[in-house]
Amino acid sequence: MAEIELEVTHEAGLHLRPAALFVQTAAAFEATIEVRNVSRDTPFKNAKSALEVMMLGVNQGHRIAIRAEGEDAEEALEALRRLIESNFEVDSPAEEEEQ
Amino acid sequence: MIGIVIVSHSPKVAEGVKDLADQMSQKRVKVVAAGGVDDQTIGTNAERIYNALLEAYSDDGVLVLLDLGSAVMSAQMAIEMLPEDKQNKVVLSEAPLVEGAIVAAVEASIGNDLAKVNAAAEAASTMRKLP
Repeated sequence: MAEIELEVTHEAGLHLRPAALFVQTAAAFEATIEVRNVSRDTPFKNAKSALEVMMLGVNQGHRIAIRAEGEDAEEALEALRRLIESNFEVDSPAEEEEQ
Repeated sequence: MIGIVIVSHSPKVAEGVKDLADQMSQKRVKVVAAGGVDDQTIGTNAERIYNALLEAYSDDGVLVLLDLGSAVMSAQMAIEMLPEDKQNKVVLSEAPLVEGAIVAAVEASIGNDLAKVNAAAEAASTMRKLP
């Protein structure tokens, strides 16, 4: 089990497009990936569920923790870290996937 | 991948919800608007919905998101106009239109099946907006 914690700086937090990109990026990996809103002290939720991610209520400036388990867990966390640290400007792996 | 049809009494609402859903899915999901009696008239139109169902259709199925009232009746009529083998692959959703479309677009874009996408869209009614 690997885990990272980081701040969401995007003005929309993890809602709408950022939430969609987050879920689509997570879903591109086999690993079980969970995310929680550290600032609101929520439990871990499924990072591959749009609803669960949006219901974490992650606003700009909140810290989130992401944990992953599985063969590609490290890559998954790295991809999610890049997505968030780039303020959702990088192309997510999900975007490069075939239709 | 499932398709999504947006039914509203207002053509502008249907188009606007489609735009939101398209942004969420990055256009990876076929989302078709079927609002109004025609482009100018408020109401619903079974034939417009029927054409939208055909456009959005794939063997993975179609989720129909609705606003209120006669939208349901028109959508049911539209489904009955489909060939029988397609009828049972179309699901009318209880989901709230805007929130449901946003959630459904993401859930569909990652390849979830019709039942799972609909369950997530319907659960969007429990999503809080206010802090």
